[in-house]
Order: sequence, then structure tokens, then C-alpha cells
Amino acid sequence: MPEPIVSVRALTVRFGGLVAVKAVSFDVAPREIFGVIGPNGAGKTTLFSCLAGAQRPTSGSIHLRGESLDGLAVWAVAHRGLVRTHQIVRPFREMTVADNVAIGARFGRGRRRGADEKGRVRDILARTGLGARAGSLAGTLTLGELKRLEIARALATEPDVLCLDEIMGGLNPAEINAAMVLVRELRDQGLTILLIEHHVHAVVGVSDRILVLNFGERIAEGRPEEVLRDPAVVAAYFGDAPEEAAL
Amino acid sequence: MQQALDVVVNSFLAAGLYATMAYGLAVIYGVMRIINLAHAGIMMLGAYTTFTLFTHFSIDPFLSIVVVVPLFFAGGVALYRTVVRRLPRSGSTPSMESLLLLFGVWLVLQNLAYVLWSGDTQSILTSYTLKSVSLLGVRVGVPSLGVFGMSALSLLVLEFVLHRTYLGKAIRAVTQNRDAALLSGVDADRISAVAFGVGTAFAGLAGTLLSTLFAFTPDFGRSFLLKAFCIIVLGGLESVTGVAAGAFVLALLENVTAAYTAVPTSLQDALSFTLLVVTLVVLPQGLPGLSRLAHVRRRG
Amino acid sequence: MTSKRALEAAGMLAVAGALYFAPSFLERGTLNDLWSVALAVVLASSWNLLGGFAGQVSIGYSAFLGIGAYTTVLLALQGTPPVLTLPLGALLAAGFSVIIGYPTFRLRGPYFTIATIGVGEAVRVVASSLSFAGGASGLRMPAGSYDFESNFRSMTLLAVALVWIALAISRSAFGSALSAVRQDIDAAEALGVNSTRLKVTVHALSAALVGLAGGLFAINFQYVSPGSVFDFRLSLTIVLMPIVGGVGTVAGPVLGAILFGWLQLKLLSIPALLSSSLFIYGALLIAVMLFEPKGLLGLVRRLWARRLRRFYIDA
Repeated sequence: MPEPIVSVRALTVRFGGLVAVKAVSFDVAPREIFGVIGPNGAGKTTLFSCLAGAQRPTSGSIHLRGESLDGLAVWAVAHRGLVRTHQIVRPFREMTVADNVAIGARFGRGRRRGADEKGRVRDILARTGLGARAGSLAGTLTLGELKRLEIARALATEPDVLCLDEIMGGLNPAEINAAMVLVRELRDQGLTILLIEHHVHAVVGVSDRILVLNFGERIAEGRPEEVLRDPAVVAAYFGDAPEEAAL
Repeated sequence: MQQALDVVVNSFLAAGLYATMAYGLAVIYGVMRIINLAHAGIMMLGAYTTFTLFTHFSIDPFLSIVVVVPLFFAGGVALYRTVVRRLPRSGSTPSMESLLLLFGVWLVLQNLAYVLWSGDTQSILTSYTLKSVSLLGVRVGVPSLGVFGMSALSLLVLEFVLHRTYLGKAIRAVTQNRDAALLSGVDADRISAVAFGVGTAFAGLAGTLLSTLFAFTPDFGRSFLLKAFCIIVLGGLESVTGVAAGAFVLALLENVTAAYTAVPTSLQDALSFTLLVVTLVVLPQGLPGLSRLAHVRRRG
Repeated sequence: MTSKRALEAAGMLAVAGALYFAPSFLERGTLNDLWSVALAVVLASSWNLLGGFAGQVSIGYSAFLGIGAYTTVLLALQGTPPVLTLPLGALLAAGFSVIIGYPTFRLRGPYFTIATIGVGEAVRVVASSLSFAGGASGLRMPAGSYDFESNFRSMTLLAVALVWIALAISRSAFGSALSAVRQDIDAAEALGVNSTRLKVTVHALSAALVGLAGGLFAINFQYVSPGSVFDFRLSLTIVLMPIVGGVGTVAGPVLGAILFGWLQLKLLSIPALLSSSLFIYGALLIAVMLFEPKGLLGLVRRLWARRLRRFYIDA
């Protein structure tokens, strides 16, 4: 593997008596699509919160291009080139779609101004298929559009690493396909992508490698087809008796 | 040594009153996630009600509790049913609307007091107001002892109600895990009404008790509101014991600075406000953050 | 768009010009009333920069007015001219806002609000006990330090300037970041907005403007005491004006300030109303929270939209 862009070591997060993430380690290579899957409550979103700086880990470390992210605020992590989207969309509902994206362009890593910013916003809206909605208030968008707006805003900050949390949840098959195409395009343009997804088919289809979490622990990691054959993964998804599940 | 004993005894006595004062705020916050800014106005009204009962009907301030508590409970339920219920329900954190609405209620109550009792400073002078007794060698005012006794009694009754009655258990359940309790079929509207009534009754009771110790005006209660808030930040919401512990910490701090430092008494209040701000900041997620921290310490 | 802005600029210049020459053709009583309304506009619009645009509701703004006022009185007693004392008061108010801002802005929503009540009370208590500041009885300005016309012009021009500042901010990148922070602070941070620095900055700006008004307040009344400038009721009015008018807009706080200024004058002239001022304020606040959280401006817009709708449907 080339020099990893994201490197997580022995990451642990406790909430009171509950261990949400337990000693998880992994590396992500530049321009990789790295899927994270696992049943509900496996600790996927908590892991992303730690990466983005929104949740302080109990122990362990996260490095981005070799630099420790320990103690950095969310905005500071974004300025270093790692951003996340939110599973439950969080648009600025009283602003237009273009203004939503402009916040990322102005205050993200690019710090664009004036015409440069406007061009950047237009470009991103076009890439995410929101061009026609630029002037609409974000509060009026459909769920599919809101999910794309989450991605558009994150892209506007000009990240190297994009953490996408459940961008396909609640979408119809056509929209899921479009999202998969978008994810591949983004990687082709040079981004590294971490992806949490419930929709196993979609993750398998798009990811280079997959990490499987269960009750906060890493139970498997590797190429999608290998991981899905792993008995531990089958057990986590279908119950403790894999042979029965196979029936 | 004697001074240390003084400090401890006085802190203990003050803590009783503080806990009563804070519990009223805590129960409403716990059940509805509303910060009741009108708490100050209700305490003030409690003091004036006791004052009127004393001057017009010669009812002893401590005896007036029998009137004040049910009256304020009913008033609280009425306030909930007519005004507070119309607010959009708060999520897991209190909404700005509820805070400002109850701020408005506080102003209305203040104005009511100005109209009914004028803006003059009032106080209640009974035959025992200036008497004191010796307790463990410490001179203690009779009213302070009475206040402590009433506070302790009310908190014991409360503890009983919370643990032995259906409504009490429902209140505890909603406070500890709101979503789960509401999902499992607790009637949120009814519990909220009761909690608002109980909170208001406790504020009224605290007002009565305060009136035996302090002079008051319609503006009365603001500094006590801040103290009450400070206490629930310190002690958490989940138990009467937690509130009592928070109350003791604040009372102790006040008495220690009064006894051992040169901070003038005029600055005493600034101290508890500073403590409030500091505690809030050290526990940045506010009250829920505190209970989470407590969990970590207990189980970790 | 540009013609609208030109119209706005022309309107503001016209108002500023009229106010500048007002002392030569209006009566003193009317001028005093205008001064009061201008003060209200300055306070309400300044508060709105933080409380409305950034959504951080502070009930401790009298502290900044007080710092500005005390700075002017204390320095004037040493013989310093207002040209120096006013900006210095603004600077000190801004400095204080930064000191209290860094810790308190870690708190969110209502917790921040409660902390500001604590800060406001602490400042009042401390001010009452400072002997060099006259303690609870306050301080009087040195004789001969009062020039009504220049004070009138300064206060009213400051009010016009505030409307301009609010408009400029609401249209700037800074303003849209404030709006993002108000709507969803976590999402804003995730997009790279340093919300703490943003809040501290706008807090300092609005504190400086209120501090400036505090200096003019001291000169106008020639007397400052904890009861007059650090009063809780003053903090309260500062919050009420923008909320009743329409929080987070440019016109709302001005509308609220004019309403309150007018109400204040009415209340002072009718004793029966004076005794029910708190009732009126409280009832207004309750009504706004229950029925029209966007304030008077929201109400006007809604009624206007309804009228337009009816017009088109009937036609």
C-alpha cells in the first residue's frame, strides 16, 4: 500500500459504560474508496465523528497525511482537508442552495472570494446536479436533493478526504445509481472517499476495500467479495448460525 | 475550630433552602426541557403571599405553607394549560422560545406584584424573627432552623412521592430517559402539567421560606434564580440527593468565602454568578453533559 | 438590485441630513424624544447583530452600555475630551466582550443566555462596590461638559450608521456565516466556519457600538450610576425591542425600537400606564413567542402577503 492518507490507530470511544468504538485501526490510501459497514449501533457514525473532530476519542490516534488530528476543532479539521456529510441532512434551510454551497467555498480550505467563489459554486452545483435549484431555498428541496446538497457543500470546502455518511439512505434505485456514479467520479478527480452505508449492495459495488464493524469492534477488513464471505461478517448480519442463514 | 463549625452548620442550614429552591427548577427542566425563568417571579409571589397571609390574617409564615403549596401547584398547572402548552415541544435541548416566553411571564408577575403590593421593600417580623438558639455551640437564628426543617420535610415528602406513586415514577422516568419514557406510553401532557405544578409549588414554598429570612421587593428572586440554576448544573437533575449535594457545595462556598476571605459581603452574589458561569463553561454541554460525566466517573 | 441599493443609500443620506439639521428647526422637546428613539435604535440594532444575525441571545447588554458610560465619566473628570473618551469606552466594552465571550460562547442556546444573566448581574454588583466609580450612588459629569446639539447629532447619526452597518453585514460573507451559525452551528463548523471566532468578533463589534452609545448616554444625562446603566431592566429592554420588532432582520429592530421609544414616551406621560410597563413588555414577549416568532415585521409581511393574494384571486 502507498503512504496512507488517513491512518487510524487503536481508536476507542466510550460513552459512560458503553464502548461505541473499541480499539479500531485501519489505513486508507490516497484515491481509495473505503466502505465502512456494520449493523445498527456498530459505531460507524461515531467513527466518522472522531475523524471529523466532532467527537473526542477516549484513546487512540487519527493522522491525516501523517499529521495528528488530536484536539483539532471541526472547522480546523476541515481546513486540513477532511470533511464529512451528516447522515441526517443539515441544510441551512433559510438560505438558497447556492448560498449553502458558498459557505463551504468561502470558509473551507479554498477560502474563495468574489468571482472565483461564484465560479466554484456554479461548478459544484453542476457536478452534483443541483444547477437548476441554485436559487431555491434549501428548505424546499426533496430528500434526494438534500443529500446531494450535503455532498455539494462538503465538496465546496475542497477536501482531500470526503467522509460520506449514509448518502444513499432513503433514495430510490435510480438515485442510488446516480450517487454511485458521483462517488466514482469524485475519486477519479483525486479525492479519497470514506463511505458509511446501510445499503450493502451499493457499498460492495463502489468500494475498493471495506471495513466491517460490529459492536464497535473491527470484525473484518479487505476487498468487498472477501469480506462478505467472512464467517464473522455473515454471523453479524444474519445471526450466530451462518449455515442456517445460508438456507 | 469554632469558625469551621460555624461554616459547616450555616452551610448545612442554607443548603436546605437552596435545594428546595433548585428542585422547582430541576423538575420542570427534567420533564420538559424548559428553563423556567419565571421561577424568580414565582418565588417573589410566594414571599408576598406569605406576607399578605401574615399581615391580614395573622397566619404564621411557616403555617402559610399549607395555603401556598396547593395554591401555587394549581397556579402552575393553570399556567401550563393556558400558556406553556401552546409552545412547540422542546427537543433534547431547551428552546429559546420557551425561555423567552417564561421571561415574559416573569415580567407580568413582577408587574402584578407592583400593582398589588407597591414597589416598597417589605419584610416579615414575627416574635421569633430575631431569636436564636445554640446548636453544637453555634448561634443559629430560629427562622433559619425553621426554614431548614421545612425544606428537609418537603424534600422527604418529595422523595417519597417520586419513588412510591405512579406520577412520581413517571416524572423520574421522563427525566432520566425522555424518549424511552414517552415512547413507552407515558402521557407527556399530563406529566408536564404535574411537573409544572410541582415546580411552581416548590418555587412558592421557597418564596415563603425566603420571606422569613430576607426583605423583598417585586424585583426579588433574580439572584436566587441564578443560584438555583447554578445548583442544578452542579448537582444534576436525576435525584433529590444530587440537587441537595449541589446546594451544599454552593452554600459551603459562600460561607467559606464569607468566613475566611476578605471578599466583602456586597460581592458575595457576584461569587455565585461567577461560579455559575465557570461551571457552565467547564461542563460545556450544560446539564445533560454533567450527568454524562457523572456516569463516566461512576462506571469508568 | 443596484437601483434598490442606490435608493437605500439615498434614503439613509436624506435621513442623516435631516437629522443633522434638525436642531435648527425642531423644538427641544421633540429633539429629546428623537434622541431617545435613536438610542433605542442603536441598542436594538447592535444587539441584533449578535442576538439576531448569529442567534446568540444575550441578556447582559447593559454591561457594555455601562462600561462606555463609566469610561466617559471617569475620564471626563480627569479633563479628557469626549473625542477621546467615546472611542476608548467603545474599545473597553469590546475588550470586555471578548473576555467574557471566549468562555461563554462555548455554551449553546439557552445555556449561553443564562450565563449572560450571570455576567450582567456580576458586573452590576461589582460596579456598585467600586469606590473610585462612586459606588452605588454613581458619578456626576464635570460641569460645562454638555453640548446638546453635538450630542444629538452624534446619537442620531450613530443610529443611521447602525442601520447601514446591519444592512452591509446582512449582505456580506460575514453575514451569511453568522446566519449559518444561527441555523445550524455544527453544520457551519463542518464547512470550515470557526464559529467561536465569528461570534467573538460580532460580539465585540456590537459591544463597541453599545459602548459608544453609553458614552453619549453619560454626556446626555450628565450622571451615571449602577442603577441607571447596569440595570437588569435595561438589558431586558435591549432584548425585547428586536424580538418584538422582528429578530434577525435589519428593519425589525428599528421597528421595535421606534415602538418602544414611543411606548416609553407614552408611559412616562400617563401614570396609569407607567405602572403597567412590565406587564406590557411581558405580554408582548408572550404574544410574540406564541403567535409570531418573527415579530411585528413577520406579522406585517404575512398580512401584506395575504392582501396581495386576495388582490390577485379577486382580480
